[in-house]
Amino acid sequence: MPAALETEGLTRRFGARLAVDDVSMTVPERAVYGFLGRNGAGKTTTLKMALGLLRPTAGLVRVCGLDVARDRIGAARKVGALLEAHGFYVNLTGRENLVLTGTLLGLPATEIDRVLEVVEMRADAGRRVGGYSLGMRQRLGLARAMLGAPPVLVLDEPTNGLDPDGIADMRGFLKSLPERTGATVLLSSHLLGEIEQIATHVGVVNDGRLVLEGELARLKADLEPQIVLRTGDDRRAADLLAGHDRSPVATETGLVVALRAGEDADQATAALNRTLVQAGLAVFAIGARDRSLEDIYRRVAVSDQRQLKVEAA
Amino acid sequence: MLAVLSVELRKLNRSSAAVLALAGPSLIAFLTFFIVLHARRGTSWDMALQNATGTWAIFLLPMSVTALTALVAQMEHGPRAWDHLRSLPVPRWRIYAAKAICVVALIVAMTGLNLLLAWGSVSAVGAVKPAAAATGALDLSRMLLLNAKVVAAATLLIAIQLWTALRFSNFVPALALGIGGTFFSVMAASAKAGVFIPWLMPINMMAKDAWRVETALALGGGLGLIALVAVVAHLARRDVL
Repeated sequence: MPAALETEGLTRRFGARLAVDDVSMTVPERAVYGFLGRNGAGKTTTLKMALGLLRPTAGLVRVCGLDVARDRIGAARKVGALLEAHGFYVNLTGRENLVLTGTLLGLPATEIDRVLEVVEMRADAGRRVGGYSLGMRQRLGLARAMLGAPPVLVLDEPTNGLDPDGIADMRGFLKSLPERTGATVLLSSHLLGEIEQIATHVGVVNDGRLVLEGELARLKADLEPQIVLRTGDDRRAADLLAGHDRSPVATETGLVVALRAGEDADQATAALNRTLVQAGLAVFAIGARDRSLEDIYRRVAVSDQRQLKVEAA
Repeated sequence: MLAVLSVELRKLNRSSAAVLALAGPSLIAFLTFFIVLHARRGTSWDMALQNATGTWAIFLLPMSVTALTALVAQMEHGPRAWDHLRSLPVPRWRIYAAKAICVVALIVAMTGLNLLLAWGSVSAVGAVKPAAAATGALDLSRMLLLNAKVVAAATLLIAIQLWTALRFSNFVPALALGIGGTFFSVMAASAKAGVFIPWLMPINMMAKDAWRVETALALGGGLGLIALVAVVAHLARRDVL
């Protein structure tokens, strides 16, 4: 699959601080790419370099094959962006704000109606932005990003500050975007649950470094399966399983047992159940545990941090 | 460029720019009316309009430039609109050049309005109190030339204020600079060194010594134009963090 956006060795230094460190990422066409990381991990700086807002200290960004440093305007024609700071003129109406951007992009007035329709904002477009809720501003920001139907949309924390209903609306909207518009979506977030429900691909950035990237379904499949179980006496069950060459971990939901690579989850579940029942333990629940994006994130981001601490020590 | 200019004008149109454009010249017109009305001896047309131009050049022009550049810059700083504007497929120099053109055009309009309103005030005095009516003939071309020189000499001051207002998201540095510059302009209006101080260059267009007029005009206008180009180039190139 060709890349809608890719970076090579992208680096940005602010004085002594390395904000983005040798990031090489690939956002495939028509993907919804979740760009994950803690606050301050380097997500926004990376996106700003992708938009040509910041000059990289080293490396390059290509949007639809165009080098942003060499052809910023050509690359900018391929991208629509929703940034954390919306930059709306609050004394103007939603429509007037879009018209200003539309004029700068040389777009006809019909394009304003089209994007307002897409984000279901036609009814409120005549109101001043100053009176908009945060959710409405986010939707207006999306409408503005979609002006001219750019093939790539860069969205920085699009669910920030939204209420649960707003988040659900935004989730549905973003998920359907590639299908509806053919666009590739690169969105940054620190909300793992949201990204998991929207993204087809993820990239995890930690302390400025891209520590993981790939197709979400594949990354999940690559994780070794786990069995979660609840018994009448979890402590005794843990001791018992430890004696059977297992390493159960106590969690809020019960004991979690990681299976070995290649081990069949059904067979392993049956064997564990048999062991526990034969030892006289009451088994309330047992089964394979769905692997989540959080598991993937914890694995790379947390282990990376630990490694850094060890190196520092 | 026309699209960027039209966007800038639409934004200004919905801001308080019109109030600002009217405020300075109106104050001078108001003052001119009472000065001419209460003059013990009749005031000549030249004197009345020259005084209005002088008040504009020494105080309200630099103050208006300060306020106008702050307004133009805060339109983008306030809603943090720079990232959006700078991410668009538009050459960035055009965005800054449009702002510079709008500020210069508004200052030209305000200077013209100042002259027009002052003329209106002096004429009104003649209608209200014929005994105090302005004497002599009005040399309009001389007045227009003088006002054109005042605006031209203010170009360096506009460039400095515009750069400060656009460079810093906080409006305090630009205001402090403008107020400080205007303070010196008022307090040291006749200082010889004034020809080298941007805020004093416009008032030096009314100096009796030709060298002062020529030096201030060359520096304020010539160097000012170069400075304005440099301002646009610098702002377009820098990273906005």
